[in-house]
Amino acid sequence: MFRRLMMMKITLMKCDNQQQHTFIQGCSRATSGAVMDKVPLKKAKTPKGRFDNPDDKTKDVLEKFPGDVNPLTKEKGGPRGPEPTRYGDWERKGRCVDF
Amino acid sequence: MASVRAASRLLSKRVLSKSKAVPAAAVQGSRNFHFSIYGKKNNAKVSDDISTQYPVVDHEFDAVVVGAGGAGLRAAFGLSEAGFNTACITKLFPTRSHTVAAQGGINAALGNMEEDDWRWHFYDTVKGSDWLGDQDAIHYMTEQAPAAVVELENFGMPFSRTDDGKIYQRAFGGQSLKYGKGGQAHRCCCVADRTGHSLLHTLYGRSLRYDTSYFVEYFALDLLMENGECKGVIALCMEDGSIHRFRAQNTVIATGGYGRTYFSCTSAHTSTGDGNAMVTRAGLPCQDLEFVQFHPTGIYGAGCLITEGCRGEGGILINSEGERFMERYAPNAKDLASRDVVSRSMTIEIREGRGVGPEKDHVYLQLHHLPPQQLATRLPGISETAMIFAGVDVTKEPIPVLPTVHYNMGGVPTNYKGQAITHTNGEDKVVPGLYACGEAACASVHGANRLGANSLLDLVVFGRACALTIAEEHKPGESLSPLKSSAGEESVANLDKLRFANGSLRTSEIRLNMQKTMQAHAAVFRTGSVLKEGCEKMDVIYKSMDDIKTFDRGIVWNTDLVETLELQNLMLNAVQTINSAEQRKESRGAHAREDFKDRVDEHDYSKPVQGQETKPFEQHWRKHTMSYVDPKTGKVTLQYRPVIDTSLDEQNCAAVPPAIRSY
Repeated sequence: MFRRLMMMKITLMKCDNQQQHTFIQGCSRATSGAVMDKVPLKKAKTPKGRFDNPDDKTKDVLEKFPGDVNPLTKEKGGPRGPEPTRYGDWERKGRCVDF
Repeated sequence: MASVRAASRLLSKRVLSKSKAVPAAAVQGSRNFHFSIYGKKNNAKVSDDISTQYPVVDHEFDAVVVGAGGAGLRAAFGLSEAGFNTACITKLFPTRSHTVAAQGGINAALGNMEEDDWRWHFYDTVKGSDWLGDQDAIHYMTEQAPAAVVELENFGMPFSRTDDGKIYQRAFGGQSLKYGKGGQAHRCCCVADRTGHSLLHTLYGRSLRYDTSYFVEYFALDLLMENGECKGVIALCMEDGSIHRFRAQNTVIATGGYGRTYFSCTSAHTSTGDGNAMVTRAGLPCQDLEFVQFHPTGIYGAGCLITEGCRGEGGILINSEGERFMERYAPNAKDLASRDVVSRSMTIEIREGRGVGPEKDHVYLQLHHLPPQQLATRLPGISETAMIFAGVDVTKEPIPVLPTVHYNMGGVPTNYKGQAITHTNGEDKVVPGLYACGEAACASVHGANRLGANSLLDLVVFGRACALTIAEEHKPGESLSPLKSSAGEESVANLDKLRFANGSLRTSEIRLNMQKTMQAHAAVFRTGSVLKEGCEKMDVIYKSMDDIKTFDRGIVWNTDLVETLELQNLMLNAVQTINSAEQRKESRGAHAREDFKDRVDEHDYSKPVQGQETKPFEQHWRKHTMSYVDPKTGKVTLQYRPVIDTSLDEQNCAAVPPAIRSY
């Protein structure tokens, strides 16, 4: 019964992010369930949660030039990656574009 | 509370005083953002003149534009700017038009990278068209090109820049300096790698400033013609199934190309040549439909093109026996032979039964013999592309490819001003009230072969030209000429017939038959016997349209019905294409025949012209094809029209006399 009360308290307090960690740690010590100690509580995929690790972004194959200026041709705002017209057609990511 | 009231009084005072300073023309009435017809002066009337079962709404405008791609939007807001009450009918939302896929650039002789002259651009375009382009239209386009690009840039299109802030121009196919003698010219202006997307969004954003009424997701069925004059358009509202008749003094067709007649094409599913078909059903001709541009390596099924750089980096083409077949066709150049040689070799392999796949209708492009690191550095992103579009791991499996359509040079014949024309008694005659621009039109700037980066230029220049011509010859608010109250009956009857069609063949089956036939017979490899066989097969398929079966009997958002209407349009384009190709007994530009490998002009231009007899008009092929179809039987009649060989101003820009085209 006491455990159930503590569980309810955890769900109620979850919305307060800042205090979450300290409170949950406090709770797990109080409930003393061996299982609860081993499994770390994962943050839900709320928008806030998703941006917490900036290294998780997928890398785009074509990197942007520094300052958006192509170092070889000094073109500002041009296509990223190698020169699209190098094979005589307009190439991007292996696709040829018709225009 | 009192302070709020005072503040609101102050604000309203400011608004009033502001509006005094603004000219009257710019003060708009309440303008709805969602393009409903109720935002404007409400003159739409419901009538039951042509049908008691379908609600028909009549609208009256000064000008109607069919299609909202690059050319359509430019024409629509050009007309609105000139004060015309304009309607823009489109079956897609404007920013979904196929213009958005043109990632390359626009050619213009701005002279930012080196000394440049539009007359050199004119020469390059005339040569590229294999002397089938009308030189007055090419003169108009290349002379207007710098002004058009600067105008786009003033609209806010974010071109890439050089160090000193001018528009950056890069070298791209077929452009030279000093009439071909000065080396490669740098004329192609681009916006990173999304020029078409940016162009379309810029034009759309600009067009919202003006008072154009957009009718989005309205499928244009037919032109309303009376006595050879075009008096408007009849369209189906897909959202609620009502029929709308748009009466207007001026109609502009900007509906795009018809790539979907072929099995493998880069065009969207919506590129169905609606404008060409509407014009054909009105009894008017279409011009040069046999000139279709192919690219050798398009992914099977998806239709995306694989760059020639793959073969340049060492990729090879393989048939079902695992043989590198290009060695037989081009022993020296092998896989690096020119595009048309490669396309033809691939087609011959497929025809002779050495194709791959369950239907043996394509070949493989093998890249897995190259080191993956080299692939990743030289062609970044190709593994992503191959996985997404072909579902193959490019480091382990080959990519299925076949020659793919990507542009249609032909379309509605126009003069350099954008007015639609017919050719009777040896003279060009303007069709009153009808204009065309963009890929749907054939002012013939591209002739027999289109140069890259010229098509986006074509869109904006001729879109503007249509608007200017209409503004010159008509005034806003002109009274409309009378139209029979039963105009458009046949279109509604056709719609009704298709909606309740109960034959045995589905729309998708007939469409696939047509696409496979066109791909097998009217693609890159063209010879007399193959084309004749194709013409007969297409005849049978055209007649099989009488046996069509549709399933959706509803009227609200009936995509089955719309696809069937699009199939009717595609059929008309396909029969004209294959019949014109069969009749044209020469090879010129994109139309290459195995049995007639040379160009047949009025003189043999490989030798000096003096002393040669001029061949009569009937015996040479430097002429435009004008094709008519009888929609009931599918029979095609062909006539011919001479090419315009004089520029608009001989003093300023001399026309280019024909010569042998060699690069």
